Amino acid sequence: MKKDYKILALKILAPFVAIILAAFISSLIILAIDKDPLQVFYTMFKFSFKRIDSIAMILFNATPLIFSALAVSIGFKMGLFNIGIEGQYLIGTFMAALVGFSIKGLPAVIHLPLVILAGIVGGMIWSFIPIFLKVKRGVHEVISTIMLNYVAYSLIHFLIADVFRDRQQSLVEGLGSVLVRTPKLAASAVIPKMHGFLAFFGVQLPKHVYLNWFFPISVVLAAGIYYLIMRTPFGYELRAVGHNPEASCIAGINQGRIYFKGFLLSGAVAGLVGLSDLLGYFRYMDMDFPRGYGFDGIAVALIAQNNPFGIIASAILFGFLKRGSEGIQALLKVPMDTIVILQSLMIIFIVVITKIINDYVKRLEKREVA
Amino acid sequence: MKIRKLLALSLVVLLVVGLMTGCGQKAQEPEESTPESQQQEPEEKRIKVGLVYDIGGRGDLSFNDSAYAGLKQAEQDFGLEVTDLEPSGGGEDREQLLRLLAEDGYDLIFGVGFMFTDHIAKVAEEFPDVKFGLIDGAVEDIDSSSNISCLLFKEHEGSFLVGAAAALRSESGKVGFIGGMKSPLIERFEYGYLAGAKYANPNIETFSDYVGTTGDAFKDPVKAKELALKQIKAGADVLYHASGASGIGMIEAATANEKLSIGVDSDQSLTATDEQKPFILTSMMKRVDNSVYETIKNFVEDKFEGGYRVFGLNDDGVGYAENEFNKDLISDIQPKLEELKDKVIKGEIEVPADKNEYEEFLKTLK
Repeated sequence: MKKDYKILALKILAPFVAIILAAFISSLIILAIDKDPLQVFYTMFKFSFKRIDSIAMILFNATPLIFSALAVSIGFKMGLFNIGIEGQYLIGTFMAALVGFSIKGLPAVIHLPLVILAGIVGGMIWSFIPIFLKVKRGVHEVISTIMLNYVAYSLIHFLIADVFRDRQQSLVEGLGSVLVRTPKLAASAVIPKMHGFLAFFGVQLPKHVYLNWFFPISVVLAAGIYYLIMRTPFGYELRAVGHNPEASCIAGINQGRIYFKGFLLSGAVAGLVGLSDLLGYFRYMDMDFPRGYGFDGIAVALIAQNNPFGIIASAILFGFLKRGSEGIQALLKVPMDTIVILQSLMIIFIVVITKIINDYVKRLEKREVA
Repeated sequence: MKIRKLLALSLVVLLVVGLMTGCGQKAQEPEESTPESQQQEPEEKRIKVGLVYDIGGRGDLSFNDSAYAGLKQAEQDFGLEVTDLEPSGGGEDREQLLRLLAEDGYDLIFGVGFMFTDHIAKVAEEFPDVKFGLIDGAVEDIDSSSNISCLLFKEHEGSFLVGAAAALRSESGKVGFIGGMKSPLIERFEYGYLAGAKYANPNIETFSDYVGTTGDAFKDPVKAKELALKQIKAGADVLYHASGASGIGMIEAATANEKLSIGVDSDQSLTATDEQKPFILTSMMKRVDNSVYETIKNFVEDKFEGGYRVFGLNDDGVGYAENEFNKDLISDIQPKLEELKDKVIKGEIEVPADKNEYEEFLKTLK
């Protein structure tokens, strides 16, 4: 019993120890650029947690990462590395944008779900190709998904810059430059913000906060995926394939079918990654639409060790690092490059320290059994 | 075993120390806020100017660096407090940085590049007392009472002069243009240049090629080099580009064939290799630095005006570069260029900015 508490305490302490160690090393770097580390960290935390808009922005920042990490974790659970979330979400986002701007006059209750569905379908299409190649032809999914990311980048570029470019934008005085983007999405395709709901509980968010209903959706989805993987026969088969493909095959599990289903599910979740930004903020897709959520999602999932609830926490940590860094850049003039180093150090330390502590916990548990 | 316990213990100690420093920090809080409130009423308030780059930021040897140069010059001359920031991720970061600067009491904030158009429009509405400068982009429906000043450039006028220089210098009677991404912006460079060449020598033959139709066309030196070689093979002996980093390929191709090239945006003679320098005729200068400087100057002198501020030849917003490397190349044609510059400023020559205007322009030559 006593040991249980010890294990729990260690597990909870792990990330804090990691953050403190990372902060210590980062301090040396901050000192090297002639800034006061205490002030930098103090500003980072104060800016992030003492302002209601910062807290909401952290959740907004975390939303795409939760989807992305969930998609990655589904792959990991069945022993496949879906490194193609990046391409899958860009295709999904484009499909959603396409349905968003080309259909007009639908009521929001029909249009919005349709747009979200389009995103999901886009993600599934882009995940179908690698898993088809894997199951039918034995092409390793890492290679095919990485390559398909590049295809997606170029394809999106072509679709936005050439085929569906908004040519209605006017040039003032014939000078300057227009944005290379799709037409704006119909108002019925926009996801509502959470302002009204939170105001009901007495939380007044400023107008410029873009926190929207995709955040609660991502949390519910995390719970749903946890249930699916841990509590259903399909989830059991999925994990069995992940643990030992040969054994599960002998046990009568159709490995190819599990791969297909699991990977398409991963792609479907990936299709949701860009929607919070698209439907909640930009309302058009431009050449510059945020990139890299797919890769950040891998880090988020690794830190959380593929636990859906851990993913929510680690995505929020990433959201905090982003928001906090905006604060120290604007208020303390810490250069962007230093901030990138700080963020990376934090992540590395968290991964290493949690690994060390988890190994220690495992040994403790083993001894307990013995 | 003991080592592990020791490790665990040391981690706990570290944590406690960490917590204590954390608490210590909190205790300082009231002190921290006092100087802040005092800052609200300083004896003499320094003007704060902020600038947000586009992704990539400083070090592009062109656009962003030019904006930075203008900011630094203004800082020296007017004793300002300046900050320059760089967004990390997608567009929401751009908007957040602008907003944070505005919240932090900045008086004048620049967004460098047309990607800022929508973001500046949003933030400017939230902070009506803060002034904003937007380079290369235009927020619609604003006038001089607005708190946004859109800084636009007549790239075609500067291109007209370098086009004339190309035609005057050309021995083969053939000159070429290489654009980056095909768009109205780059077409201004193209038609200004072609018009300048035709004006200086109506019999000149011109070639135009574009690297591509996407943003990647601005970072594809290999393709630009191929296009340049093709034009050189066809007889062109002076080449001009408006293709960002792709242009390096064109300069390489021209240098290898001992043909002349013309740079763009900033003075590319200064950043070229020693081998290339003798072959760079001049560069079409887009003086982002001047526009930033002037906007700050106006603000300091309380003459800030919203709306659209257009920079052309008349106020050195665009022009051609002269430096120690190209002196010998352009000194004899310079009087002619100055004469043309004069005519454009006086309105005797209307430089075309697109294809239709260019065709009209050609008719006036005949």
